[in-house]
Amino acid sequence: MSAIHVSQLSFFAAHAPFDRMEPAHLLWMLERMQLGYYARDEVIVSPEQGRVERFLVIKQGVVQGEQNVAHASDADTWLELVEGECFPLGALLAHRAVASTYRAVKDTFCYELALADFQQLLGLSAPFRDFCTRRIANLLEHSKQVIQAQYTHSSSEQQSLASPLSAIIRSTPVTCTPQTSVREVLERMHASRIGSMIAVDERGFPLGILTLPDVLERIALPQADITQPVINVMTTELTFLPPQSLAYEAALTMAKMGFRHVLVVENDKLLGLVTEKDLFALQRVGLRQIGSSIRHAHNIEALQRAASDIRQMAHNMMAQGVAAEQLTQFISTFNDLLTVRVIEMAYAESFADAPQLPAQLCWMALGSEGRFEQTLNTDQDNALIFKVPEGVTADAMRERLLPVARRINEQLAACGFPLCRGNVMASNPQWCLSLDEWKAKFSNWITNGTPEALLHASIFFDFRPLHGTHELADELRTWLARAASNNSRFLHQMAENAMSIRPPLGVIRDFVVGKEHTLDLKLNGITPFVDAARIFSLAAGVTHTSTLSRLRNSAAKLNIHPAEIEAWIDAFLFIQVLRMRHHDEAQSGQDDELDNLIDPEDLHELDRRILKEAFRQARKLQARLAVEYHL
Amino acid sequence: MKNWLTRWLGGGVQLDAHQKQRLADWQALPRPSSAQPFDAGRCVVVDVEASGLNLMEDRLISIGAVAVVNGKVALGDSFYVVLQQATVSDKHNILLHGIGGAAQTEGKPAADALLGFLEYLRRDPLVAFHVTYDQTMIQRAIRQFLGVKFRHSWSDLAYLMPALNPALASRYRSLDDWADSFGILNDARHNALADALVTAQLLQIGFSQCGRRNIADFSGLRDLEEAQRWVSMPV
Repeated sequence: MSAIHVSQLSFFAAHAPFDRMEPAHLLWMLERMQLGYYARDEVIVSPEQGRVERFLVIKQGVVQGEQNVAHASDADTWLELVEGECFPLGALLAHRAVASTYRAVKDTFCYELALADFQQLLGLSAPFRDFCTRRIANLLEHSKQVIQAQYTHSSSEQQSLASPLSAIIRSTPVTCTPQTSVREVLERMHASRIGSMIAVDERGFPLGILTLPDVLERIALPQADITQPVINVMTTELTFLPPQSLAYEAALTMAKMGFRHVLVVENDKLLGLVTEKDLFALQRVGLRQIGSSIRHAHNIEALQRAASDIRQMAHNMMAQGVAAEQLTQFISTFNDLLTVRVIEMAYAESFADAPQLPAQLCWMALGSEGRFEQTLNTDQDNALIFKVPEGVTADAMRERLLPVARRINEQLAACGFPLCRGNVMASNPQWCLSLDEWKAKFSNWITNGTPEALLHASIFFDFRPLHGTHELADELRTWLARAASNNSRFLHQMAENAMSIRPPLGVIRDFVVGKEHTLDLKLNGITPFVDAARIFSLAAGVTHTSTLSRLRNSAAKLNIHPAEIEAWIDAFLFIQVLRMRHHDEAQSGQDDELDNLIDPEDLHELDRRILKEAFRQARKLQARLAVEYHL
Repeated sequence: MKNWLTRWLGGGVQLDAHQKQRLADWQALPRPSSAQPFDAGRCVVVDVEASGLNLMEDRLISIGAVAVVNGKVALGDSFYVVLQQATVSDKHNILLHGIGGAAQTEGKPAADALLGFLEYLRRDPLVAFHVTYDQTMIQRAIRQFLGVKFRHSWSDLAYLMPALNPALASRYRSLDDWADSFGILNDARHNALADALVTAQLLQIGFSQCGRRNIADFSGLRDLEEAQRWVSMPV
């Protein structure tokens, strides 16, 4: 005989994964649960208790995971769990004791399920099983939580940008058939006071959307026939995201594409609509807002403010555990926007007398910027390609362009992109060249293969057009892809050069650290991946510049198994995240110099393990390179 | 006079053979020792809703109860019943507990509802907040419908919580006050089951606080309660 009050069910309905479980399974679970109370500072689960015997869900209160019981303090806190969160999944699934001590921070009540029931529930409920196993499927996910926990205090109000869209959708979307008349749709929108209507087919797949602004633009102004099917006046180019995507992804999609809506679709069925307004509440500074303040900036001060917003946003995203791939994509997207605006402003000022001149130019991003892999401390690496108009010499063009380029470099520096120490910048006469001069330069590097050439290759081969006539850079890229893949001697030299940098893993000891007890994450961590990807892409004639795209797109031509490629990518991204966190911490600590040196002893135990694995992947990658080039 | 006396003594009660057997079975159950520690045994936290606050005249409408087993609330071991009513309680009262007229007349026949409660309870100790109310309502109903006296061991959190938290005692009076002060949420106040769960959560906090005073069983709890009855008179 048991009675479960509905208020218990509504608690579970508000939290993942229970919100996706079938009511019958939820009841099954509740009937077997107990409610436990833990006073402040009371230990709930600890390594000493041995194999974990119960699954816990926090009903109310806060639970902290601590690494070190003897010296429990704020510094050791690595995890903070709140209402609705489950623990300790990893230990439960692995049938072992927990690695950390879980302790109540304040009066806490937890729903508890015995191990045997937990296991049975895994078999019963697919959403529950997915949630539990995916959460701990790999260490990386766990590490993300660690990062989140470390940042929680500085950005708790921003947490929700990392929440899944399924948690943001507020109500079931209002839909119609595509054949419904425009009149009927407008009447329904008016009657139910809604801002948009989505047409779906009989399976619930969305075909088009009509929003209130569309009514003005597509119906009222053109005086469209309102007896016609509504699909004719709808926007049919729709952007879909699955319900597991994060709010952040929706925000970035909207910022990049300029949309105000994203449709949430699962198994070809419309689940809901996420609007800009829904996301706005989640961010202090909206992504679209940063984008638009850059586009409309008219002075360097406005751009400096935007640059600082970008950094703040990057910090928040890191805090929310946004993945490295998206994080770097975010940083590149906004740095590109900013750089373009700086260039536009400089051109407008300097070429007022020659408005046709910008069309002769292409501003290129090089190095990590060219690879879309900027971190927060990336130096400028840029160059110019220009067309030589008839009757003018290349030198005369250069003469005209260099002062403008210098101005752009300086303004970028003022926005927080330090000038390049190696002077690889468009204001250097060596790197402000006509298309023919560039081809001659690359040709020279490829045929001679001097150490200097190899060094330059690592920066210049990663160029991409950023502003101006992209065709100039594209032509250079096409030409280079052919020239380089035909020159196996040069590729061999590059591979040899790449092999000279070894991942710092010792045979006996874990890490090989120098006198300073530090590892250089950039030189020893990132570079092996970047170099190998560049060589693979040149060999395969792949024109992408980002390391991830280079690896993914070269895989087939080089007969590398996709699983192997993905393992390399995961490893690369993990090191990238460590670097960014390192920079972010240094920056908030007001250090002047951002470096890439870390002491592995300072890392969280979990991160150390993953870093070791990442270096092992770098070794495998180099081994592959060695086989390919008989080194 | 005779009529009143027979009702008072339960003489007018007509139980069928099966019901009599159920009652006898329950009466035959052994009582657990009052030295039973909190963390190794079962107690039942109860809350009732009635047609009003008059202890002598108002009728019992529903009973909600949850079991606390080995210190933890066993959600599957809970009980809720609405007693069938001859007359529906007034509108103001319905608004309070939310059990509408139809639900009241459709409830379980009183004798079966109460037998169900006793079977669920077994002989385990009862806990409530303001015991007098719940105890009187249940006792009267059992006497009226089952024809027996209900003598049971009760603990009253309305005395225990002030005894354990003297600093808060002067400010906190009602179940809501105490629940609020420990951040216990109740989405469905005045539902007997939801209130019983809140009371059980309060009991868990009480158990934990008892641990700090080396009180580990129900006899210790009773001593603490007795002492508090001398000090204060709750509302």
